[in-house]
Amino acid sequence: MPAGALWTGIVCPQGALQAALRLLPGTTASTTPLAVHDTVSGRTRVIEINRTARSLGVQPGQVLADALAIAPDLESLTRNRGAETRLFEELALVAYRYSHQVAITGDGVVLETGGSRRLHGDLDAMLNTLGDEISAMGLHARLGTAPVPAAACLLARTGQHVTEARALHRVLSTWPLHRLALAPAESRKLEGLGLKSVREVLALPRFERERRLGRTLNRYLDQIHGREQTPLVYWQPPEKFCQTLELPVPTVRSEALVFALNRVLEHLHQWLRVRDRALSGIEVELLPEDRGPKIEFSAGLGQPGFQRDRLLEILRLKLESIRLHSAIESLRLRAESTAEQRPPQADLWTGTNVNDAWPALIDRLTARIGENGLCSIAPCPDHRPEKAWKWTPPGTTTADTDAPPRPNWLLPEPRPCRAGELRLVDGPERIESGWWDGQDCRRDYWTAHDRHGNRVWVFREYKPRDGWFVHGLFG
Amino acid sequence: MNIPNPLEKLLSERNDLWRGRRRRAGDALETGRAALDRRLPDGGWPRGKLIELLPERFGVGELDLLLPCLAELTRHERQVLFIAPPLVPCPQSLLRAGLDLTRLLIVREQKHAFWAAEQCLKSGLCGAVAVWPNGSSAVSDRTVRRLQLAAEDGDAPVFLCYAPGSTPPASLASLRLAIRCSGHIEILRSRGGETTGSIRLHPDNVVPLASAGRRE
Repeated sequence: MPAGALWTGIVCPQGALQAALRLLPGTTASTTPLAVHDTVSGRTRVIEINRTARSLGVQPGQVLADALAIAPDLESLTRNRGAETRLFEELALVAYRYSHQVAITGDGVVLETGGSRRLHGDLDAMLNTLGDEISAMGLHARLGTAPVPAAACLLARTGQHVTEARALHRVLSTWPLHRLALAPAESRKLEGLGLKSVREVLALPRFERERRLGRTLNRYLDQIHGREQTPLVYWQPPEKFCQTLELPVPTVRSEALVFALNRVLEHLHQWLRVRDRALSGIEVELLPEDRGPKIEFSAGLGQPGFQRDRLLEILRLKLESIRLHSAIESLRLRAESTAEQRPPQADLWTGTNVNDAWPALIDRLTARIGENGLCSIAPCPDHRPEKAWKWTPPGTTTADTDAPPRPNWLLPEPRPCRAGELRLVDGPERIESGWWDGQDCRRDYWTAHDRHGNRVWVFREYKPRDGWFVHGLFG
Repeated sequence: MNIPNPLEKLLSERNDLWRGRRRRAGDALETGRAALDRRLPDGGWPRGKLIELLPERFGVGELDLLLPCLAELTRHERQVLFIAPPLVPCPQSLLRAGLDLTRLLIVREQKHAFWAAEQCLKSGLCGAVAVWPNGSSAVSDRTVRRLQLAAEDGDAPVFLCYAPGSTPPASLASLRLAIRCSGHIEILRSRGGETTGSIRLHPDNVVPLASAGRRE
């Protein structure tokens, strides 16, 4: 055990229930009896329940049919192991900001806190901020500290904090055996021997324990006492963010999808903070229930960054514009494009960040109107008027080109007209050739008055067609 | 009206006389036409107000009327929005009028035109917004009221160019101008000003605005 090493365990009591509830909007009310069930040795059993369900007489381990007979109102959800893993990953992401040594254990996360103690002032202050951050995510978790990772997880279940090895040994020796994370077979054997507390087990000679109970128990006892290293697989935040979420109930309601997306965004926010990246765009895939074609859309940000409200609004606008034909079963969110994090610079005098507001407005408009609906316009260096302009992305344009006077309005396509109705006023301006792109032409442009008295821009074309066309309007 | 009226002259010389009908001029943007500025109650396009334009026919001069003011705004690095213009505004022509095209944003979708206009105005980041509502559907007075409120929020003028032949709702706007085919502008309604009179729009009566010379 290296000197000064200190480990903090984070456990989620009722992790399966919490993970399942995180995806259901509006079921946090504690008045509904809730449970999570799973198939254990061939039978569907209730594994975790909330307080209301317990008060009705439902017990963990009960067969689901029995539980439903006792409490007909019981809402039972299937255990979602994917969601549980994600829950632990979310915890690990938060923990990663406090330490680079983070590992996911069976029922939570353990992180090394001895090294970062000084940075945060003292251990209590650090654990308080960590705890606050976890509760801000809407999770209920308990923290525990010990000089040994294996013991930290055990202490976290009761929220105890022990910083010295000797104190740890004292605490452990007072424990009854069921508080250790033993395999069911081992605890049954120990019970059969009449052993009830850790002290009694430790009092047995070491080789005796090994002979009767196998080598694993000895190793485990050594690990929780810090006499042997606990093998840990350190967790690293992923390089790219991609998360798939199965919705608990397939839905066509966009509010339910927004709720689920909000959860993913929370995770994404943590990931961006840990990776020190700024978001520039996200891609969302919606997978329908009936294996139909998946719906994909992406949302780009004009300026890299992360503002949850803004992103959520963009996603909401996008979802509103999509018509869902069948219920959505799961969704996937990817953050492929990220950029280097640059802290926003605020105005020195007013403290407001005006530069940020304009890209935000553009993002909001494009989310509703679509990429093509919002643009700037630019002149192009081409002598043919229909090729002398193009739509460009918002805020970009090309340099000024010297051009003869042009009307204010151009028709998207020249429209045929009758020459008899026109009174030519000014012209002609000969525009000719274009053989290099196969759109050769020869035209004479005139300013003319039509029969209503409008000033129009017309041309007489000789090649490739013959006739008179209107191309623009003055005014 | 600039008829030399002896009584008017006498009254205007007295500074101890309060006259109820005269109101304080609001904040306004120069139109770029002195003849028009003189007629408008605030001496220009009122800021934070809805201005309705009723061209007799499309392309009769409504863009020409707006361009000097819009160009001036873009020169001051303000954003200008064209929402749902029925045709393509010619970039060469806009450049010639002095508009900075990087400051011009065009919303091409007719569908969300009013929503986009409202968002832009409310953000307070736009210098001016010009909206061309679809000719086929009438503009409701509720839409007009919302635009008016959004303009007040954003402290920018919003120009509503009705499609020719459409019937505008009962006006809430502070200014309503009709543009005749002859090139005359008629002030149909102006809050706190004279409501009659027409001005001839002519290329000659365009005056260069203060900062226009800076670019050359």
